[in-house]
Amino acid sequence: MKKLLVCIKQVPDMESRFKVNTDGTWYEETDLAWRMNEYDEYAVEQAVQLKEQLGEAELTVLCIGPDRVKETIKKALAMGADRGVHMTDNESHLRDPLAIASMIADFARQQDFELIFTGMQSQDRGSAQVGVLVAELLGIPALTTLVEFAYDQGTITAKRELEGGSRALVSCSTPALVTCQLGLNRPRYPTLPNIMKAKKKELASLPVTDLKLPPAQLKTAAMAPPPKRGSARILEGDTGDVAAQLAAVIKEKM
Amino acid sequence: MDFALHDEHKLMRDMVRDFAETEVRPSAAERDESERFDRHLMFERLAELGLTGIIFPEEYGGAGADYLSYAIAVEELSRVCASTGVTLSAHLSLGANPLYLFGSEDQKQRFLVPLARGETLGAFALTESGAGSDAGGTRTTAVRNGDSWILNGSKNFITNGGDADTYIVLARSDGSAEKHRGISAFIVEKGTDGFHFGKKERKLGIRSSPTMELVFDNCRIPACNLLGEEGQGFKIAMITLDGGRIGIAAQALGIAQGAFEAAVNYAKERKQFDQPIHQFQGVLFKLADMATQIEAARLLVYQAAWRAGNGLSFAQQAAMAKMYAADVAMQVTTEAVQVFGGYGYTRDFPVERMMRDAKITQIYEGTNEIHRLVIGSSLVR
Repeated sequence: MKKLLVCIKQVPDMESRFKVNTDGTWYEETDLAWRMNEYDEYAVEQAVQLKEQLGEAELTVLCIGPDRVKETIKKALAMGADRGVHMTDNESHLRDPLAIASMIADFARQQDFELIFTGMQSQDRGSAQVGVLVAELLGIPALTTLVEFAYDQGTITAKRELEGGSRALVSCSTPALVTCQLGLNRPRYPTLPNIMKAKKKELASLPVTDLKLPPAQLKTAAMAPPPKRGSARILEGDTGDVAAQLAAVIKEKM
Repeated sequence: MDFALHDEHKLMRDMVRDFAETEVRPSAAERDESERFDRHLMFERLAELGLTGIIFPEEYGGAGADYLSYAIAVEELSRVCASTGVTLSAHLSLGANPLYLFGSEDQKQRFLVPLARGETLGAFALTESGAGSDAGGTRTTAVRNGDSWILNGSKNFITNGGDADTYIVLARSDGSAEKHRGISAFIVEKGTDGFHFGKKERKLGIRSSPTMELVFDNCRIPACNLLGEEGQGFKIAMITLDGGRIGIAAQALGIAQGAFEAAVNYAKERKQFDQPIHQFQGVLFKLADMATQIEAARLLVYQAAWRAGNGLSFAQQAAMAKMYAADVAMQVTTEAVQVFGGYGYTRDFPVERMMRDAKITQIYEGTNEIHRLVIGSSLVR
């Protein structure tokens, strides 16, 4: 039976009002609502679709963080993952991408995963490094920013999103790691019966102190909200001009 | 004491909110305007998400979740569309729940399972032109004839009426018995000979939820469609309505929450005299009062739901929650329109719809006056 892994992160609801914490290196966590990182939802959905395609496969979901991240693991279980692994770590928000990637790689190394899915980046830290570092540490290929994915008998065929909206068709053989981008799929709702069934699925906790972590290579020196400035951009010209400018702005943002 | 929701409640709330925002909100104004019930969106999609049988065990097609989950689901749907909220509430706690509480095993298999799975839509028919708050005044009759019951009469203001497939109908089966004891409950399927639909009500609010008159003209149903025992109908109706009030309380709460959020956002955007209007104390104090009232209503509603889910008595708490949340919904939506000013009075913004929707919560499932009477009487007994 093929084994699949999806790595997810819990992030604050992006609608929240963020306040920088007292030592100025991260955001204040009190009173925030927490969600699954949006890109990780595409990763979970794609992993579940692959599991369904294969028929026989076991999908593990891994999440690092304090006790509250269990809720997000349960969401992935309700979306179709088979078992959850929670690496209990109250300091995860302070660790650099290499440390996080090392934890995941240490977990994955002995387990013979056919494929590892991650989001392209997290919505809060946004380094976009963890996925590729895991692949590097495991010595397997990484396909990043996927907007299309297909798997057939040990070969992945996928489309990557490049700047300006162009696409690159890539392929590699497994084992491999893929990072998932907006547009790859439409994540399913965790239905209420599946939320209830997820309560009965295995959710193991691993203490992070048991693992040897590399010394930090990156450290956040300071964090600050962007300076306030006028956010409106006034488009001028006749209707046709304005429409063309507007279309260009939308295209640029997409 | 623990006020925290379980992870399952939070996951379900997020799921329903996500669905409501993405799929229900976009058409809410248009469905209100055209008085259109969208069965696919407002019921079949709920079934796909496992919401049509929330509180029933899996063996009866339900999700096996608790009453609090049900309250949260109705709240989240009503936050964007009160018509969708009441569709679920009337289906689940009025149409399906009496079958779960009083149905025989055979009735549960035949009627409850498809209702819980969302293959059929449920409704509950108690009210008549002469029997509203005074349910004992039921005049629809049921006469035993061999292996059948024959129903005659009509029912008013039936939520989901016309579109529902399975109806719980209260009728007088013993004309000689004392007012409340002569009533029985029956299961009537759409399409039964002699079962017709009368006029569709043209309403102030919840206009995308169908409200219809039911007419029984020598409607013959099999004897095995008697729900519970003969003469038990009044008790079945009262117990059903106790649970139903949690749904309506949650609906009122959701309406208030939706209007409040719209008012806060508008107060931050709208500028007068070169400042956002929330900087005027007159507006800010309104928002503070709205938030406080909603929080108090939520505690009452969740407490009633929690008691119901934990096998504790809840009739009094459900009545208080319904009455209070309905009053809060009316006050909060009215103030939300005020915060929006002239724009709030137009149909270009959602708060006038919410204000119209809120009004019914003070009227149905027992008027707030009846609840005050019942709650008050219990205090001085």
